[in-house]
Amino acid sequence: MKMYQFIIRRLLLLIPVLIGVTLIVFLLTRLTGDPAAAYVTPRMTEAQILQVYVKYHLNDPPFTQYLYWLQGIFQGDWGYSKTAALPVTEAIGVFFPATFELAIVSMIIGVIIGIALGTTSAVRRNRPFDHGTRVVSLIGVSIPIFVLALILLYIFYAWLGIFPAGNRYSNIYIFSTGIPTITGFILIDSLAVGNVPLFFDAMWHLVLPALTLAFGSIAIITRIMRNSMLEVLGLDYIKTARAKGVPERVVIKKHARRNALIPTTTVVGLAFGGLLGGAVLTETIFNWPGLGRWSAQSITTLDTPSILGFVLLTAIFYVFVNLIVDITYAFLDPKVRLE
Amino acid sequence: MATTSKKGSGAVGANRLMTELRPRVREARNSWRLVRSNYTAMAGLVMVLTMVTIAILAPVLAPPAPYGNPYSIPKDFYDPKPPGAEGYIFGTGQFGTDIYYGVIWGARATLYASLFVVLTSALIGIVLGAVAGYYGGKVDEAIMRVTDVFLALPALILAIAITSVLAPSLENIMLALIIVWWPGYARLVRAQVLSIKESTYVEAARAIGVKKSRILFRHIIPNSLSPMIVSITLDLGAVALVAAGLSFLGFGVPTGYAEWGRMVSDGRNWFPPMVVVYQGVLYNPWWVWLIPGMFILIYTMGFSLIGDALRDILDPRTRR
Repeated sequence: MKMYQFIIRRLLLLIPVLIGVTLIVFLLTRLTGDPAAAYVTPRMTEAQILQVYVKYHLNDPPFTQYLYWLQGIFQGDWGYSKTAALPVTEAIGVFFPATFELAIVSMIIGVIIGIALGTTSAVRRNRPFDHGTRVVSLIGVSIPIFVLALILLYIFYAWLGIFPAGNRYSNIYIFSTGIPTITGFILIDSLAVGNVPLFFDAMWHLVLPALTLAFGSIAIITRIMRNSMLEVLGLDYIKTARAKGVPERVVIKKHARRNALIPTTTVVGLAFGGLLGGAVLTETIFNWPGLGRWSAQSITTLDTPSILGFVLLTAIFYVFVNLIVDITYAFLDPKVRLE
Repeated sequence: MATTSKKGSGAVGANRLMTELRPRVREARNSWRLVRSNYTAMAGLVMVLTMVTIAILAPVLAPPAPYGNPYSIPKDFYDPKPPGAEGYIFGTGQFGTDIYYGVIWGARATLYASLFVVLTSALIGIVLGAVAGYYGGKVDEAIMRVTDVFLALPALILAIAITSVLAPSLENIMLALIIVWWPGYARLVRAQVLSIKESTYVEAARAIGVKKSRILFRHIIPNSLSPMIVSITLDLGAVALVAAGLSFLGFGVPTGYAEWGRMVSDGRNWFPPMVVVYQGVLYNPWWVWLIPGMFILIYTMGFSLIGDALRDILDPRTRR
């Protein structure tokens, strides 16, 4: 199979999954008492509310309702978020950059540290470094992310006073230089307007939440990387390379690690799923103004349209991340395409 | 595994039972030896057994009030007191709730919830996965497409979506988690069944005319369960983790309920810069969130350690 054929095949397989996901979310919107509540804003009059029923065909049979609902989703009508006092799609636009910035930074931290720890502990198998790494990754998969966040905050904010308690930047910048809002990504925007102090301030605020969120990914990636390194290191071509006198450093970096990375790519998608779930908890604790905190607030105010909007968005996002992971994997390991 | 086609009678039957049992006993003994020599597995076993004992003995370790809900933590309505104060081993928390009582009954709530969720979803997964794998065709297609959809959503997010439309209670958290968890098991069992279906002993059973359903339930399902044991063990911890996350977010149980996630969430109200003064000493009440948090960690870690060890033991290729 050619690469483009593989990609098309995977894209086609995505269609039933996405239909299923929208069906689930649709069913959940109809389970919450009156579905019209999702579209009613506080300022509507009685007559306008009645119009909602007509507009969204809420008196039609369920399947017709689903089709109209789906049409609404495609046209950007995701309901009204009481928590943000905005339509859900606009609220997503407001909160998305903060979450995306946090998730990307965490993913980068997770991948870099995970690969480094996994490689090194495979090379130093059953030595103190390996045991230490195993303990770290064991804690990483066992500790609730909200407890980890509280511990890090207690040590680095309350006790040592090194890092801030939360938010994306120090409030002083709102008054002194203002916060640029070009893309919504503070790290990019602050550099775009040349506000270097704000850039470093934002980085400083990112450290604790990103580390918290990355911890789980570090654990997963380290574990897979170690196993696949051990497998690769036992193969004949590694022996050949060593036998012909290739320096050990080159054997590890060029021969072994590159091939060991292939199976590791598959768990990056998995780790990303954990990251999206973890963002809800992490953002709540670090008061991070992103999608996660918004949906957690929506939970306490029983604002279902916001929660389901968030769920639909993360589901679509997760599906596409896994698609990219699959394509990358097929690109790295041509055997996959043949199946 | 031997295939029995006729039942023996009396002493012959007992004899046959012994011969069949002997290799299994030997196998179990071997496995136990492997567990005992594996110190991480032993550590996990100790953690899990401690938690299980606490859960079972909760009414003895922390006797509840004679009336009312035992999961509602008794409180004295004062500010948090440090561990050891006035006979409170782990101190008190929000509204003076007894942390010791909370973590003890929390163990019971967590064990009950995770066992119920994992076993129910495993049962659903085994039945649907085995049917899909064994009969194939349209049934297989349908079941697998449904699992595709569920597995396309991150676990915590899907659980949030489901619990958000249900009334908040521990039972509804459990229901949501079952809906989230069964597809993984169905996948796992299906893959196992597909490979076992082609094995020689199944073919032999088919050749001598054993009924299809009997082959499935007596030969295929029992032999496809060993990877399930590993998943179930690991998931007992993982489910507890997600359940704690949900109740931390405010789904499920109300304030002052003996559930670890909820207790951490309540304790968060006393995070720095909040301070309490007890007998003239200034305290920062770390115990109100850290102690229940550590119980979640130990519970999950125990199952995680045992699961990893079981994976190595049950897979003959990785054991020495």
